Amino acid sequence: MMRIALLVALLSTAACRGRPSLVALEAGPPLRLVAAPGVRINARLKPALELDDGTVVRFDSPRLTADSAYFAAAPTAATPRPARRGTLRVSICPSGEGICRSLEIAVAW
Amino acid sequence: MRNSSIGVLLLAGVVAGTTAALRPPVASGGGSPAPELTNTSWLNTDHPLRLAELRGRVVLLNFWVFTCGNCTRTVPSLVAYDRQYRSRGLTIIGIHTPEFPPYAGEHDKSNVARALSRQDITYPNAQDNDRRTWDAYDIHYWPSFILIDKRGMIRYTGYGEFHLADAEFRTWDQRIQQLIAE
Repeated sequence: MMRIALLVALLSTAACRGRPSLVALEAGPPLRLVAAPGVRINARLKPALELDDGTVVRFDSPRLTADSAYFAAAPTAATPRPARRGTLRVSICPSGEGICRSLEIAVAW
Repeated sequence: MRNSSIGVLLLAGVVAGTTAALRPPVASGGGSPAPELTNTSWLNTDHPLRLAELRGRVVLLNFWVFTCGNCTRTVPSLVAYDRQYRSRGLTIIGIHTPEFPPYAGEHDKSNVARALSRQDITYPNAQDNDRRTWDAYDIHYWPSFILIDKRGMIRYTGYGEFHLADAEFRTWDQRIQQLIAE
């Protein structure tokens, strides 16, 4: 099956300054959130797609790290219909920095 | 042939974010006045704490949230500092600042209370659900730390996970001892 995936960089100041994108959202279905190497997606705070009608779609994956803190496989979410846009929230924890930080981005499809 | 089930996401624009240019891990110096705490919902204390009432004590603020693994893995170090230095003049205050909107459960006081119990945290914690303290201190990452001297001046700041007895733990330990001794 032909599969079109448009990687959507979740922009950050760091990304704007030329550093690699931290995570990307791959069009599905299902939607798939892919982290850059060395970037962990917080599994205790499941990524969320907030739709304009107030619905919140959460990303999830059954595969977690041993401490259940991060996803060990890209989390997915059902592609919402008939919604056409929303706000994506994701908590990322770059492994080398010892921190978590939040990203928030508007998306449309 | 185009598959009708294919969806293409397009970037519409960044709404907001807490990412910012990486700051130096630690800054220190003569200090600047620490913004007063104005949070109204607290745990592990019988009244909302204010820095003004803590003059004469060293105060370590820990910005954290229970959904952050980097934060929870650092808590044992903070509990150790609390046990070692509370009676000698250190007050640790957790500033519990949610990452996500209320639907994620981080704003719920009972969830915070369970996290405190789970990690044996007995020092005071403020619920910073509206991020007023987070913003006042210009915080960007979980966990972050602000060390305030006995005069209410910010003397050291930093962020990032650390562990019992590692180099960063020892650095913060030395700073706490230094400010207690002043």
